[in-house]
Amino acid sequence: MLGDQSSELSENNGESESPTLRLCANGACMKTTEVEAKLDEGNIQDAESSLREGLSLNSEEARALLGRLEYQRGNVEGALRVFEGIDLQAAIQRLQVSAPPPEKPSTKKKVPREQPQQSASQHAANLVLEAIYLKAKSLQKLGRTTEAAQECKSVLDSVEKIFQQGIPDAQVDTRLQETVSHAVELLPALWKESGDYQEAISAYRRALLSQWSLDNDSCARVQKDFAVFLLHSGVEASPPSLGSQVEGSYVPRNNLEEAILLLMILLKKFNQGKAKWDPSVIEHLTFGLSLCSQTSVLAKQLEEVMPGVFSRVERWNSLALCYSAAGQTSAAVNLLRKSLHKHEQPDDLVALLLASKLCSEEPSLAGEGAGYAQRAVNNAQGMDEHLKGVGFRMLGLCLGKQAKVPTSDFERSRLQSESLKALDGAIAFEHNNPDLIFELGVQYAEQRNLKAASRYAKEFIDATGGSVLKGWRFLALVLSAQQRFSEAEVVTDAALDETAKWDQGPLLRLKAKLKISQSNPTEAVETYRYLLALVQAQRKSFGPLRTLSQMEEDKVNEFEVWHGLAYLYSSLSHWNDVEVCLKKAGELKQYSASMLHTEGKNQNTLLTTLLTSLCINMLIFDESSVPCKVAVGALLSERGKEHQPTLPVARSLLSDALRIDPTNRKAWYYLGLVHKYDGRIADATDCFQAASMLEESDPIESFSTIL
Amino acid sequence: MSESASSHDSPPAPTIAGDSQTTAANESDTNAKCQTAIQSLSSIVTTTTIPSTISLLLDDSAVSAAISSLLQRPDSGSGDNNLCRWLYDTFQSTEPSLHLLVLRFVPLIAGLYLSRVPLRQPQAGFEAVLLALYAHETTSRADQAVTVNIPDLSHPSIYHESKGPAKNNSTCLNIAVVSSTLDPHGTIRESTRRARIVGVALELYYSEIARMPRESKLDFCGACEKWAGQNGETRAGVVPEEEESVAVARSEKDGGRIPLPWELVQPMMRILGHCLMGMKVEDREVKEAASKACQSLYLRALHDINPKAILAAGSLLRLREMALDPKNQIDHTEISNDNVLSV
Repeated sequence: MLGDQSSELSENNGESESPTLRLCANGACMKTTEVEAKLDEGNIQDAESSLREGLSLNSEEARALLGRLEYQRGNVEGALRVFEGIDLQAAIQRLQVSAPPPEKPSTKKKVPREQPQQSASQHAANLVLEAIYLKAKSLQKLGRTTEAAQECKSVLDSVEKIFQQGIPDAQVDTRLQETVSHAVELLPALWKESGDYQEAISAYRRALLSQWSLDNDSCARVQKDFAVFLLHSGVEASPPSLGSQVEGSYVPRNNLEEAILLLMILLKKFNQGKAKWDPSVIEHLTFGLSLCSQTSVLAKQLEEVMPGVFSRVERWNSLALCYSAAGQTSAAVNLLRKSLHKHEQPDDLVALLLASKLCSEEPSLAGEGAGYAQRAVNNAQGMDEHLKGVGFRMLGLCLGKQAKVPTSDFERSRLQSESLKALDGAIAFEHNNPDLIFELGVQYAEQRNLKAASRYAKEFIDATGGSVLKGWRFLALVLSAQQRFSEAEVVTDAALDETAKWDQGPLLRLKAKLKISQSNPTEAVETYRYLLALVQAQRKSFGPLRTLSQMEEDKVNEFEVWHGLAYLYSSLSHWNDVEVCLKKAGELKQYSASMLHTEGKNQNTLLTTLLTSLCINMLIFDESSVPCKVAVGALLSERGKEHQPTLPVARSLLSDALRIDPTNRKAWYYLGLVHKYDGRIADATDCFQAASMLEESDPIESFSTIL
Repeated sequence: MSESASSHDSPPAPTIAGDSQTTAANESDTNAKCQTAIQSLSSIVTTTTIPSTISLLLDDSAVSAAISSLLQRPDSGSGDNNLCRWLYDTFQSTEPSLHLLVLRFVPLIAGLYLSRVPLRQPQAGFEAVLLALYAHETTSRADQAVTVNIPDLSHPSIYHESKGPAKNNSTCLNIAVVSSTLDPHGTIRESTRRARIVGVALELYYSEIARMPRESKLDFCGACEKWAGQNGETRAGVVPEEEESVAVARSEKDGGRIPLPWELVQPMMRILGHCLMGMKVEDREVKEAASKACQSLYLRALHDINPKAILAAGSLLRLREMALDPKNQIDHTEISNDNVLSV
């Protein structure tokens, strides 16, 4: 009891010290204490009359003021009782009658009217509208959201009725505008709370498409709320009505489009300084655009954000994510180089890992990538320790890729074993990561440790339940390298069973090659024909909208198929068929070294000189292409039988090719020929021996095609 | 699906498209279908009483719990499983309310199915249900991809004016594919299509997400965490003394980790977005489960170094953080608390 009293006392003291709540009207003011006491007793009538006397108000005004007092005191139930005592609808009808009749409808909004009458009617209108608005708020706080929404809606309906030509900009009563803005913002939220989503959508659109003279910040809030609603409510909004559409303007057709449009408009407003920056907008846009895989559009939006909003490193890193998701690797790497510079944030793990991954895809960048990966490994500590495995994995991939860049044999084998070591290190952290298992397998295969490779290939297929196409292909290649062709074919057939027709291309190509290896050219031709039909069907029906094939990067191209078929026919000495195939292939690609090579074999020595010059032209365009070098080298070495001066050129080309790809069997073979024609029999023997050894462990397609 | 290239807004259900003459007939037909479904369910779920109407059944948590526990049995996905057969038949009935009843269990079925794939146990029952959903979407999308036109602000729109050329802009729009064309002859035996088929089932689930009960959403968040397979790692750094128990928990959860291609991640993200920001009633439990799932998927995206998933999951996490910040919880529709009240 005592405690209660003392707290009451201190509250009173506090009140008398701080500015007291006062009620003012018509030049008079009064303290609220007396009125509040009456309200607390539940005596609304008495409270009202004391207001009417003290401030010379009419009954409505007094009630409205009382209601607001109750609301502000946090007594929403009391406020509701007071508001229910006012006949608000009648008041609105009176206002409508007294409102000025419609003038020229063409000049919306900005018609100057008689000042006193205008402000008087605005004043009266605000009194009523604010009362209804507070009633809606009170209902909302009591959880009666549907009723609240109806009251709130009636505020907006009334505004439209009373001010049929819009509220005049110049002399709008600020309090009236405030009430209107509040109601515009509250209405959709109330419908949403009450679960009436269709009403919520039309309330949002009404807020944004009608003239409410909202200030920029509240308009921005409504736009953002609507965008969030469209993105996440899971309720499909029907497209906006035709009435709101201006000829030639963009009309969104569905939720995602409308949400992205709104968010982009918001971002533009921020950039132009028209509204206060809201960090959630860019996050919502990030979500929306990455769902549609439009990260390059997102990058553009990020670039337009005013400087100072993000730190530059933050911006660079986000942009790098966007560009790398959009496949623009070099742009992403350039940005990451800046953000990982020693004066910026050199230890940022996500940036380091992304950079190392992007570099691991490109032999010339692999060395740089290994550096990033090593830094990631060193920095993955504490909370981020779980990323250490990822760092090791990237390190392994980068080193493996680096081993492909021309370098000394010693350096190459060092890189390869380091790569394996790193991948093994990674697996200690992530023993359940199938991707890692796969990469480890490929690394072993590249080093011709076929036993280990086949073990990992099987493990990968198990772990992914056979759902990843490259797993099947890898196992078939490993088996082919072990010269177990029939088993490889069984695996390929199993994979074909697991794969939809549309994605079977690479498997069919593999199968055809396996048939050739098993000296079964007729069936190989059959398989090639089937593959051709598939590839051609795909070419015709592949619109931009049919994507998402697992082997996106490894689509079989038609040229390759014609070329393969030509090669097959030439081995069968079906020269007419060879010619047809080569013609078809020629239509698709004008100059190709390996095609010319086949053609050269076909017509033998007649055109070789010409062909050679063409090939050399090709090499100028594509300097590092191993198959190209080998093809030209092969041509020259065969020609060298009669024409000695071409041999040194052939020799340097082939040695070049072997520096890049030391496991290229054909290069060894032709280099052997060059030595033989030149009379260096011992060297020739070594080369032929290398070629034959490699043949025993040569996969039917290069292992590097699947990683 | 919510976005569509062609004309359809929601999956067209033949039974509700009937004109007034056939309404009565349809209604009795509907009732009959629902009664059949209820009766056959009562022979499968024996632990609790089945309500007599579909609308009651949809909201009956006891029945849902009973079905869920049946689904979670180790042999639940097999081809001769009664419950799977019931789910399949019920979905085939083309009755919208019965569809909802089946969709409610998509999170559980998809979650169990994909996580059990490496165990090599027969799952023909689950496969039949998932394929039925896939076939339904294939028909209703009519060989169209789901696309979005990315707006270009240099052209005016209903929400903004622009000084740019107001010519017909349909040609220069940037079309984005949200969900690619469905291959009508897909079967789940083709295991390389598995993720796509489950992804489409999740897309269908998302299209009805506003009508799904909270337990179903909780099931989904659980499935996401399992698929991501990153549970142990988040905690490992925080409580090192529990290292051993965490390690045990991790190896238990290993079974759930699955490859997460974009065709799965994308619908997953949309559902989680709804759980975090789109629910009618504030539901703390669902929100927390969803943000945990998001956290796991974000970590997984980092492990996969998948930039698109990093962006999507990262943005959801940051939005969640912002929403929890008291400074962003201002009610802008509240009136100002003046000390002087005037008329």
